[in-house]
Amino acid sequence: MVLRMAKGSTTVSEPTYFILASLLDGPLHGHGIIKQTLKLSEERVRLPVGTLYGALDRLAAGGLIAVDREEIVEGRPRRYFVLTDEGQNLVSAEALRMQQAASVVTSRVLRLGSAFS
Amino acid sequence: MTVATDPNVPAGAGTSTGPDARAGTGATTDPSSSAETSSGTGPNATMGAGLIAEPNDVTTGPRTATGAGAGVLERRYRRLLRGYPRGYRSGYGGELIATLLDTAEPGRTLPSARESFALIVGGLRTRVTYATERPAWVDGVHLGVLALSVAQLAMLVPYATTVPLWVGLSALAVALIMRGRVRTALPVVVLVAVKVCSITLGRTWLDVTLLPVYPDPVWGGGALYGSGGPVAPMVGYALIALGLLALAAREPRPVGARSWLWWAAIPALAGANPAGLDFTAGPGPLTVARVAVEIGVLVLAIWAGHVARDPRWAMASVIYLIPVCAVYAENLGAQSSQDVAHLALLVFLTVLAVIVPYRAKRHVLL
Repeated sequence: MVLRMAKGSTTVSEPTYFILASLLDGPLHGHGIIKQTLKLSEERVRLPVGTLYGALDRLAAGGLIAVDREEIVEGRPRRYFVLTDEGQNLVSAEALRMQQAASVVTSRVLRLGSAFS
Repeated sequence: MTVATDPNVPAGAGTSTGPDARAGTGATTDPSSSAETSSGTGPNATMGAGLIAEPNDVTTGPRTATGAGAGVLERRYRRLLRGYPRGYRSGYGGELIATLLDTAEPGRTLPSARESFALIVGGLRTRVTYATERPAWVDGVHLGVLALSVAQLAMLVPYATTVPLWVGLSALAVALIMRGRVRTALPVVVLVAVKVCSITLGRTWLDVTLLPVYPDPVWGGGALYGSGGPVAPMVGYALIALGLLALAAREPRPVGARSWLWWAAIPALAGANPAGLDFTAGPGPLTVARVAVEIGVLVLAIWAGHVARDPRWAMASVIYLIPVCAVYAENLGAQSSQDVAHLALLVFLTVLAVIVPYRAKRHVLL
C-alpha cells in the first residue's frame, strides 16, 4: 500500500501523533512505543496491540517510520522502529500547527484574564 | 498454606503445559516457544501456586508472574491472530504475541475486549491490504462474478430435487470460479445459462424438464422463473460469462482463489424469488436474511475500499447490482414500495462503495 500524500490533505490522528512523538527520542519496539505513548499523552492514548501494529504498518508504508533493527528476545522477534526525516518533518509540522491553533485561543484568553484582573 | 498450594500444583501444571506445548509446536512460528514452555514447566507450577498463596510476592518480571495463565492467554491470542493473513502471521505473529503478553497485566487469562476487538479489526484490515496485490480489475471482476454465481446457485437450491443436474452444475460453476479456474468454469456457466433460459421461455432444451419447475415443499414459493421473463436472469449469466472471458484472457497468469466462506451465503440467499422482486409476495424470514447478507457484504466492501483506498470492491458491487437493476426494469410497475426501498438501499451502498476509495485517496488519515 502506498500513501499518496502529495495529492491531498493528510490528517494526523491523535494516536498517530503520539506514536511519531514517542519515536523522537530514538528507536523503540512495539511494547516500548505503547509505554511511551501512554506516558507522553498522560495516560490518554492507550494503544491496543492490534491497532498499534496496524498504524506502524501504515506509517512504514508511507515512509514516515522505518525498521531500525531486529532482535530476538526470549525466542521472539522484535522490531525496533525509527522515525525517518519525512516522519520527523510531519510530526514537527503538526506540532507547530497545533501550537499556532492553541495560541489563537490562549493569547485571547490570557488577554481577557489580564483585563479583568 | 500447603493445603492451598497442593491441589493447585498438579492442576495448574497439568492444564497449562499440555495445551501450551501443543500450541507452541503447532504454530511453528518460533521454534523456541515450545522449548520455553517445556523448560518453564517446573517454575511455572510453583509460581502458579505462589501466586495463589501470596499475590504480592510475585512481582518479578511480567512474563513469569503470569505463570500458568500466560500459556492459556497466549493460546487465546494465537486464536485471535488467525484473523491475520498467513504470510503476516508467519512474519510478525511471534512479535505481536510477545507484545500482547508484555502488555497484559499479570494474572490475566482472558484477552480484554479492547485487545480482542483491535486484533479482529487489525486482522481484517491487514487482509484487505494484502488483497491489493493483483490488478484491481482482476479481483473486482472475479469477486463480482463469484457473488453473482453464488446468488444464482442460491436461487436454484430450492429446486434441487426437481432439477438436480442443473443445481449440481451451478454449484460446480461456483466451486470452479471460487478456485480461480475460470476457463473450466466458462462452459459450465454457459450450459446452466442455456438451461435457465429454456426454463424461462418454457422450452425443454438440453434435457427434458417437467415445466413449471416447483420448489421442494420446505421452501415454499412459486415455480422457477414462474413470474419473471428471460431478460433479468440472462443479464446475470451474460455478465458472468463476459467476466470469465475477460479473466480467461489473462491466463496463464493466475486469477487466485477466493474464500470458502462464500458458500455460507447460499443458505441465506436461497429461497429468494428467482424471478426477482422479493417483497411483492410478502417478506418472509428468507427475504430478511437475503437483505441482511447483501447489506453486510456491501458494508464490508465499503469498509475495505476505504481502508485500502482501492476500487476493486466497488467494481464487484457494481457487477452485482446490474442484474438486480435488470430485475426491476423487467418488473417495472409490479414492485411494492418495499422493493423500491430495497433497490434504493443497494444503489446507495454501491454508490458509497464507489466514492469511498477516491475520497480516502484525497484525504489521508494517518
